Amino acid sequence: MEDKQVMIEVNHICKDYRVLKKGEGLKGAFKGLFTRESTLLRAVDDLNFSIAPGEIVGFIGPNGAGKSTTIKMMSGILTPSSGEILIGGRDITKYRKEVVKNIGVVFGQRSQLNWDLRLGESFELLRHIYRIDKAAYEDTIEVMDEILGVKELLDKPVRQMSLGQRVKGDLVAAMLHSPDVLFLDEPTIGLDITSKYALRKFVKEINEKRGTTIILTTHDLADIEQLCNRLIIINQGRLMEDGNLTEIVNRIAPYKTLVVEYYDEYAPEHEKCELISHEANMAKYRFEKAAVTAAKLIEELSAKAQIKDVSIEEAGIDDIIRIAYGQ
Amino acid sequence: MMRLLKQIWYYLDVSITCLRVAILQMMEYPSSMIGWLLSNPIQFLVGFATIQFVVSEFGSINGWDYGQLAFLYGLSVISHALSMIFFIQGWFMGWVVVEGEFDRLLTRPLSVIYQFFFMNVNIMGFTDLIPGVIVFAYGCCKISFHWTLSNAMLLLVLLIGATLIRGGIYILLGTTTFWTKSTTDFGPFTQEIFDKTTMYPLSMYPESMQFVLTYLIPIGWVSYYPAAAMMGVENSIVHSPGAVWLTLLVGIITMLVAAGVFHIGLKQYESAGN
Amino acid sequence: MKKTNIQAYIQVYRTRLIRSFHYKFEVYGNVLMQAIIMLAGTFFWRALFGSATKVQGVTVDMMLTYTVVSSMISILLTTNVERRITQSVMKGTIAIDMMRPINIFGTFLAEDLAGVTGLIFQNLIPVFVIGSLVAGLPKPASLASFWWFLLSLFMGFWINWLLAAVFGMIAFWAIDMDALIQVKKHLIRLLSGSIIPLWFFPDWLRSVLEYLPFAYLYQLPLNIYIGKYTTETLVKGLEVQLLWFVLLAVLFLFLQKRVTGKVMVQGG
Repeated sequence: MEDKQVMIEVNHICKDYRVLKKGEGLKGAFKGLFTRESTLLRAVDDLNFSIAPGEIVGFIGPNGAGKSTTIKMMSGILTPSSGEILIGGRDITKYRKEVVKNIGVVFGQRSQLNWDLRLGESFELLRHIYRIDKAAYEDTIEVMDEILGVKELLDKPVRQMSLGQRVKGDLVAAMLHSPDVLFLDEPTIGLDITSKYALRKFVKEINEKRGTTIILTTHDLADIEQLCNRLIIINQGRLMEDGNLTEIVNRIAPYKTLVVEYYDEYAPEHEKCELISHEANMAKYRFEKAAVTAAKLIEELSAKAQIKDVSIEEAGIDDIIRIAYGQ
Repeated sequence: MMRLLKQIWYYLDVSITCLRVAILQMMEYPSSMIGWLLSNPIQFLVGFATIQFVVSEFGSINGWDYGQLAFLYGLSVISHALSMIFFIQGWFMGWVVVEGEFDRLLTRPLSVIYQFFFMNVNIMGFTDLIPGVIVFAYGCCKISFHWTLSNAMLLLVLLIGATLIRGGIYILLGTTTFWTKSTTDFGPFTQEIFDKTTMYPLSMYPESMQFVLTYLIPIGWVSYYPAAAMMGVENSIVHSPGAVWLTLLVGIITMLVAAGVFHIGLKQYESAGN
Repeated sequence: MKKTNIQAYIQVYRTRLIRSFHYKFEVYGNVLMQAIIMLAGTFFWRALFGSATKVQGVTVDMMLTYTVVSSMISILLTTNVERRITQSVMKGTIAIDMMRPINIFGTFLAEDLAGVTGLIFQNLIPVFVIGSLVAGLPKPASLASFWWFLLSLFMGFWINWLLAAVFGMIAFWAIDMDALIQVKKHLIRLLSGSIIPLWFFPDWLRSVLEYLPFAYLYQLPLNIYIGKYTTETLVKGLEVQLLWFVLLAVLFLFLQKRVTGKVMVQGG
């Protein structure tokens, strides 16, 4: 790792899938016995980005956008159809066994723990796979216990665990060998509030304490808002947006909404903003942040009609997703 | 050299841990173990008994008498059992590929093919070993087999080679899944072929089939040729007990080819849900 | 039975039939497997007979016919009902399955019939063609023996299905059925005469097997087909076969009632 500034580098990766066609009805099914038609589907189309050590990057996009495919290529599971992925400066496709020593992966829906045995047994196997000596293992367990409270689970058979406990087990399993990069694919799916909270705390703390680079895909926007200092939006296999959350918001949704409650039903117009809704005493104005400040707007509106109350709404992550996906 | 030894030691260490996990896991399901303990011996012991009924009627099959047939049948079942312990996963590769079960293995710093088989060692395969050893021991008595050190050594070589041939063929068949994306369970299919071609003298088949099963699909080397070589039964190819080493050679070649094709196939792997 | 029920079963049948055509690798694989079993059988008997003309009153040609027809019967006796019941019990969906307006066993039967229909086209015909090419056209001994064969095969089909259904219902009391299903499969394979005819078995064993249901799946129909029977043995065979059919049908109905009660009480 000579260049400390780049942890992950993704260069022009594409991924094509071959999709088989299936005929309709009995006739089509019978015909299918003898023919084999297929089409090529491009799931990921020329993605390009790099991630610095210690970043927490969130991948979002609608279903089938290619975010899972991308994360699977980055963690060595899928081979890109073209392009290359460097982790710590080394190509993961060419040097898989070497490179994966330095990454941890958690799939929300698929556990790597042995279902029938106690959790400690799965850890023991991983300890041998990653050649972790006993002392380092004990240390990691100690640290993880502080964050997640995992010690009490060590002797519990995995099949008797709740989903939340199982995910905790999987998180610790992925961190046993202290990887520099941690991939989390839909980690919060199906979790209750407390487990989600524990997971977010875990992500923040290992990022702070160990400087672990974290890549996560999620459907839960709260995960992104609370954790990620960088957001990558993928749609139809292409990179739609890449940047810090507020920066993206400012760029593609550079407006705020001013909600005004008047004493009368009359709502005045203003040349620097747009009246987007007006019902009874309530009026909503949308204005560009660059064009006018909220204070000025309130001042000038109050000159025309008497104002009872105001509130300001920022464009949120759901707005940008709506806009980004809509394109 | 040092690095290679270290590497071997590493894989050995992981293998032992896997074995431990497999044993612990098996003990979680005692009823299943009892079931297989019943089912597999029945299959092979009753199967062998019915062959005996026929042979006692006809005298021999292609010059192989009853004791020689027991020796052949026993060897075949023992190598079958060993291949069930180490390579049974090959049968389920279709399912494994379609369900995306290779994901996890690909994120670990070990050879994928190694993990695929050893992370899922099937200890239950020993239930096949029991009838194999029984029939084989019976055959040994019938033909008065000499238990010398060199013969024991040859047997070991034979069984390792035979297990590798079986394993290699399971892998080759299973690997087609990477391209076909079909969940076909090759188990019954492969077992049927192996049963029919390794438990009876290969010489009962037409010459064209013998040729295929000797040179193209090396099933003849699993039990027929080495058993004939050890017992000195007349056949077209091998004439001295040393020919047993050929089985090991064929086994290693088959396994290397299989591993190569497996790795090409793995590049086609598409995980699940796409 | 109401008319709507029959339509529902027909729908199940149709769906299952369409599905059976989707798995072409399974289809080819199965044909290949059946063909291999059959071919191996023919070479086995040829090697054994060598120059002998008749053994146990049977010529090598009769034995080849026996082998080919046995392969074809094994295709017709393919059933999935055991697995369907065990899976339903294991996954815990049995309670929901049984509360459906149409009988669950009727559904399984419709599925099996559809499966067999598919197999007739996908497996039976190819196996027949391959068998005829390798071992000669498997002709029945006489027209009469062919008709008796069909009758015996028909009853054999029902004995096989009922046996599987009754066996599958053990899943309500036992947990692990995988191995038990294997035991049953091996016993049928080895003790029904499907591979090695029972007339080669020692007398004591054969006289026991003649009273078990297995022989009535393969041995009896095959004996009739190749003409290895007398009026006396034919009548006796068909009588025992009918007896097994009735016995299993009664057992099936009895168990079905017990099982339904059990599910209603425990909720699966």
